[in-house]
Amino acid sequence: MQNATALRIEDLHLSYKDLIGERFSKPKTLSFFEKQMHSPEKELLSGANLTLNSGETLCIGGPSGTGKTALLRVIAGLNRPLSGKFYYFGEYIPPERHTALEIAKRQVGLVFQNGALISNLRIKDNIALPLHYHKRGTPKEIEDKVNMAMDLMRVRAHANMFPHQLSVGMQKRVAIARSWAMDPKLLLMDEPTAGLDNYNRRNLLPLIDNMRILFRTSIIIITHDLLMAKELGCNICFLYKGQITEPRTFDYWLNSDTEIAKVLFRDLHRNA
Amino acid sequence: MQEVRNWQKLTIFGKAFHRFGLFLMKRTVGQQVALFFRAYASLFNRSRSFKADTKNIIAQAFFTGVEIFPILFIVATLFGAVVIMEVLTMMGKMGFDDVMGSLMVVVVIRELGPILTAFLIAGRSGSSLTTYIGSMVINSEVDALATMGVSPIRYLVMPGLIGGTISTFVMTILFSAIAIGCGFLATQAFSFLIGDFIHAKLTWSYLSSEILDAMSLTDFVLIIVKPLVFGSIITTNACYQALNIPHDIRQVPKATSRSVIKSFLYIVIADVFMSIFYFLDYMNELSKII
Repeated sequence: MQNATALRIEDLHLSYKDLIGERFSKPKTLSFFEKQMHSPEKELLSGANLTLNSGETLCIGGPSGTGKTALLRVIAGLNRPLSGKFYYFGEYIPPERHTALEIAKRQVGLVFQNGALISNLRIKDNIALPLHYHKRGTPKEIEDKVNMAMDLMRVRAHANMFPHQLSVGMQKRVAIARSWAMDPKLLLMDEPTAGLDNYNRRNLLPLIDNMRILFRTSIIIITHDLLMAKELGCNICFLYKGQITEPRTFDYWLNSDTEIAKVLFRDLHRNA
Repeated sequence: MQEVRNWQKLTIFGKAFHRFGLFLMKRTVGQQVALFFRAYASLFNRSRSFKADTKNIIAQAFFTGVEIFPILFIVATLFGAVVIMEVLTMMGKMGFDDVMGSLMVVVVIRELGPILTAFLIAGRSGSSLTTYIGSMVINSEVDALATMGVSPIRYLVMPGLIGGTISTFVMTILFSAIAIGCGFLATQAFSFLIGDFIHAKLTWSYLSSEILDAMSLTDFVLIIVKPLVFGSIITTNACYQALNIPHDIRQVPKATSRSVIKSFLYIVIADVFMSIFYFLDYMNELSKII
């Protein structure tokens, strides 16, 4: 089980029309019968492949508007792609079962860019909500787990506040704590360091590293902060021209001659 | 490369049934009925917990019912007084002395009581439910719930549906009771202030015995059925319109107005269908007499 794949995507096609997302008002069987049209010029991703080994961290970069967040939402099951085969922990998920609830059963967590906390619940209730819903232990165990999560992200002092009383960076830390408390096997993070100050960013990175080492969590990070990949010692791949490039190390991309590396690493060269 | 789907292997009747199902599912009404059943089905899924569910449902029923009570009380009292006064004055003109109870039953208990209550609840609680869930959709809180494995249908729609239905039921009974009881008191007060022209005939014992005589079994059944149907229509429609919003903030007010207007429409349509029962009842009695 050492080299088991956490996630494998084959031949992913994603069009702009798919970005509307899942409507929970409609029965999920309905979309199975909908006719879909192939038009390559309107595709955001065409024929992308991705493999992520279990316990591995992967950063995904790329210029704005290339569909990084859309890719993450597709992996979390919120958007249904035009076509493509998805394997979560070696298990094939057919397109008609590619929904967020189905994928969440396989312990896949997603941290949204804006946190997306439930605004009428206090911070501790926000973190405890999925634990209570899935009945993860007794109330005492859940309270301990919530306190531990809040201690890790250092939001314990604000446990009784509402999300709108916190800053954006703190909301994001609460969102990470909420995902962490669920013990995900695959964690998807959308811009975890955007909006965090340098001090908190430096504290966040070891935490991500610890999750990988202690809990063998596979992590996919969408980021513009490419130095993070160097500090985490993980591979980076880019979304470019509808494709996902090979995952390579930071140093490889820094000295690479490819077009995407020249675009994105020009300023880093100057600093280095 | 065309793979053969399961439904393509069906017989011709099977295919017709499949197409009919798809036709229903693609219509708004079909999806709303599906949402209604999914919300009730979610009561029994793995994450059920009696304590938390009861708490959510009571909170929603409190929000839908109790907070609307002051305005409902005033509307019911004035409405009841108006109906009693109109009926009394009309009786004098037309010479129908024995239809007082029947008219009160038809106007207050059968038709306008449930409908006015449903309109009040649709205008206040239905629209606020749509805005509440709609804002959650816009802030991608519903998406966040789904990625945590928390079903939005169970967490958001089910308490609203059951709590809203219960409180619509209670409020309709209260509305009819207040319209008759407090309406009678208000009529007495008006007649005392104005003069004594209708005071002589109308007493509480006369009014109550007339109304109880005029009530039939169908009335008792539909008193229970009507508010339950109306409450389900209001809350299902409100939640459906909210969950149907794409990620566009301008759609929230549109969805809210759609929620209220379509609730009115569906309520009146459902009312017409339920009035057919009275019609059948009447026809049966007529054939018995003949």
